[in-house]
Amino acid sequence: MPEFILSILSIFPDWLQVVLASLIKIIAIVAPLMLAVAYLTFAERKIIGYMQIRVGPNRVGPRGWLQPIADAFKLLLKEIVVPARSNKYLFVLAPILAIGPSLAAWAVIPFSDTLVLSDIDASLLYILAMTSMGVYGIIIAGWASNSKYAFLSAMRAAAQIVAYEIAMGFALVGVLMAAGSLNLGAIVNAQAGGLFSWYWLPLLPLFVVYFISGVAETNRAPFDVAEGESEIVAGFHVEYSGMTFAVFFLAEYANMILIAMLTALMFLGGWMSPLGFWSDVPLLGDGIHWLLLKTSAMLFFFLWFRATFPRYRYDQIMRLGWKVFIPVTLIWIVVMGVAMFLTPWGHLFH
Amino acid sequence: MTFEQLAFYFFASVAILAAAMVVTVRNPVRAALFLILTFFAVACIWMMLEAEFLAIVLILVYVGAVMVLFLFVVMMLDIDFDQLREGFAETLPIGATVAVLVLLQLVIVLTSGPFELEQVAAPVPAAADYGNTHQLGLLIYTYYVYPFELAAVMLVLAMIAAIVLTLRDRTGTRSQKPHEQTQVKRKDRVRLVKMNAEKKN
Amino acid sequence: MIPLSHYLALGAILFSISVVGIFLNRKNVVILLMSIELMLLAVNINFIAFSHYLQDVTGQIFVFFVLTVAAAESAIGLAIIIVLFRRRHTINVSDLDSLKG
Repeated sequence: MPEFILSILSIFPDWLQVVLASLIKIIAIVAPLMLAVAYLTFAERKIIGYMQIRVGPNRVGPRGWLQPIADAFKLLLKEIVVPARSNKYLFVLAPILAIGPSLAAWAVIPFSDTLVLSDIDASLLYILAMTSMGVYGIIIAGWASNSKYAFLSAMRAAAQIVAYEIAMGFALVGVLMAAGSLNLGAIVNAQAGGLFSWYWLPLLPLFVVYFISGVAETNRAPFDVAEGESEIVAGFHVEYSGMTFAVFFLAEYANMILIAMLTALMFLGGWMSPLGFWSDVPLLGDGIHWLLLKTSAMLFFFLWFRATFPRYRYDQIMRLGWKVFIPVTLIWIVVMGVAMFLTPWGHLFH
Repeated sequence: MTFEQLAFYFFASVAILAAAMVVTVRNPVRAALFLILTFFAVACIWMMLEAEFLAIVLILVYVGAVMVLFLFVVMMLDIDFDQLREGFAETLPIGATVAVLVLLQLVIVLTSGPFELEQVAAPVPAAADYGNTHQLGLLIYTYYVYPFELAAVMLVLAMIAAIVLTLRDRTGTRSQKPHEQTQVKRKDRVRLVKMNAEKKN
Repeated sequence: MIPLSHYLALGAILFSISVVGIFLNRKNVVILLMSIELMLLAVNINFIAFSHYLQDVTGQIFVFFVLTVAAAESAIGLAIIIVLFRRRHTINVSDLDSLKG
């Protein structure tokens, strides 16, 4: 933390210093994240617009740059309608439960070698635990709304997220076998050495499975049957309006950014430069800008998928999760294990 | 009161209140949600006991998977839960008596002295580079490797059992059979019929 | 400093709450399963507290296995509840008397 902040903090009593320092760190992560979410929605509309040969939003501010701000204000000013005969407390609690875990997971994300809020030993497990809790926001929203559409969506989302979480977990097992650590920083450092030592190459099946499962886990197109406008209106957030809806929206996009960044950290070398041999040249060397660049590239895939693929049918989604992804990851883990301990080709996976 | 004590009593009271709600609320969905809260509070207490691996696993396995299953079943089954609460008031005195007896016995044992700080001193906090996960791994993959394998076999067994129990072949539904679709040959679907050319009148 | 006895007391209280739960909800299999989960959790608190205060990781390994068994148990338990509901359209324990002689 910079010197001048520390000097300001030193006038407070000790325990308050700890609290304030943590708060500042949290804000330093959450504020840029919220801004990124706002402009990700803008980027989504623009990119999909250009893919469909239209211009997208271009009225608010220069070239539409103020559109997300205007959207946020509009949602803030709208009335929050609580449906009659809904479960009031759970109805309000659901959006909070959706966004809580998706923000909490950011606590252990390392942005560079030194830049990490909480460098815990088992950060990969922590991330898995936090992302697995995101489903409650959806289930509770669907149940508390007292609406058939919302409830159907909640059931769909629950089954889908549990199925894809298993595939995701197995993909991560491969990563931690290769890196020999549960710590995200250590996983990135294990990939040192340029483009071809990143894990996307030796763990290619796991990389593909992880990213597609990530798309399914965040309920994004083409796996967005939980929203499914054409069948169940808007799914679990059909009854939500104003700020409560905005919070669901924030949670979904924060989760997208999280998945994209995790993919970058675990399979694309994190903050490592793809040019391992030019590490002295500024900007070409390792640094946070590489991580952000890789994250943006993965986010582009999210948007690209949405513009390209039609929505999967629900039974196809479940078949893909249980009968394709889980066997693929299991087989690759066995291949890795055998190669690492029984054959001389183990170094390929390290 | 130190921060540590404050945190412990806070999480402990949350756990106890939520557990009490689990067994008394009318609606099982709420009971499941309160059980999740209990698990969460207890996970925080485990974290304070430097068992961070198990604390995270508790959240991952219980909150993330088992309770989703519970909620799923409770929400899907169309059960008249009011009928299931018959006799709630009658059994309350017996239940409360038994519970108080159990609690009294345990409290008498616990407060008789052997577990106070003088007898069992609180251990020094672990060093910053202490890895609970690492320590557990060292033991599980050496001394406890056979029980560990056995646990894995048991999980597979449980998985197969759950699938076999709930699987049903419904007849008369029009579901897709992709394996049959992909195996379709041309001759299954297309029949070439020889016909004489029609004569113009 | 929190003495070990406070952790054990927490375990004891949670255990007795789940005992009450089994008495109160003796007709509802779902809540019965939840009470059993609560009981196992109370036991696990004791294991972890002892493991911390005696500086022995073995206690945590026991918890690891208890968690595994409990997860398997609730999965099969819920599967049985589903089958039960499909066959009898009830999960009331007092209705499950077709085996009586």
